[in-house]
Amino acid sequence: MNTPNINPVESDCGGKAMKHTCEHHEECMKIIQLILDGEATEVEKDHFRNNIDICLPCIKSLELEKCIKDSLCNKIEKRPCPEKLVALIKEKITSSEE
Amino acid sequence: MPETSKKEGHSSDQRYEVFNREFMPHIDSMYNFAFRLTMDEDDAHDLVQDTYLKAFRFINSFEVGTNAKAWLFRILKNSFINDYRKKSKEPSKVDYQEVETTYNSEDTPDSAHTVDLRADAVQDLIGDEVANALNALPVDFRTVIILCDIEGFTYEEMAKILDIPIGTVRSRLHRARNLLKEKLKSYAGSMGYDI
Repeated sequence: MNTPNINPVESDCGGKAMKHTCEHHEECMKIIQLILDGEATEVEKDHFRNNIDICLPCIKSLELEKCIKDSLCNKIEKRPCPEKLVALIKEKITSSEE
Repeated sequence: MPETSKKEGHSSDQRYEVFNREFMPHIDSMYNFAFRLTMDEDDAHDLVQDTYLKAFRFINSFEVGTNAKAWLFRILKNSFINDYRKKSKEPSKVDYQEVETTYNSEDTPDSAHTVDLRADAVQDLIGDEVANALNALPVDFRTVIILCDIEGFTYEEMAKILDIPIGTVRSRLHRARNLLKEKLKSYAGSMGYDI
């Protein structure tokens, strides 16, 4: 039976050490949000690529941020503008020209 | 916004054509933005109407081929601040400056606001619960999340809409998301989801 790695800081991940704590997590969070927003610089993208496979807190944060962004975009009801309002606006701009 | 004489700009037919082609396709997004700012159907109705009438009146200041949606959102946001915010029916509104000052305080570093919340718990929430969490944010934080995550504006566009530097867009958005996570965590917990 394999004994699970109980080191709270690092475990093995395909030859790489998986970090279980992130010493600069707040900065990583900012970069993760910039990546998801499509606003990261090349330096920030490099930092992301170099860390995301080996840092468990950052992997979890990436999943969470993605999930929240998707929920905001797709789950919240989008109401169509009432047709009577569209008609009223068109009527008012027409009468303003007369 | 400078008013340009009708004689110097488009003809009457051109104004209608630009209005219908460039502005009207965004009316659903505008209505949703107005509703999420005011959280009241009547106010949203009035705000959209005022915005579109202003947009038509100042149509000669709009440069065809530029971002009409961002231009309209900027007018709507300014109308909201100038005309609606004071009489907003939003309950228990928190003053933005107060919140931003608190979050900028050296005594409350960002790391203190890291929220422990699982993606699965958010996935379990329904749309109304996510909307309630968003609506519970102070309006200026709510606004940046709406513009970025729901409407898909870039930081540069948001900076122009809100009249703030891009750096402020970044920091306000980051703080808004931390606040939203706290609200989502609270909702998920109250629904009995495993957070």
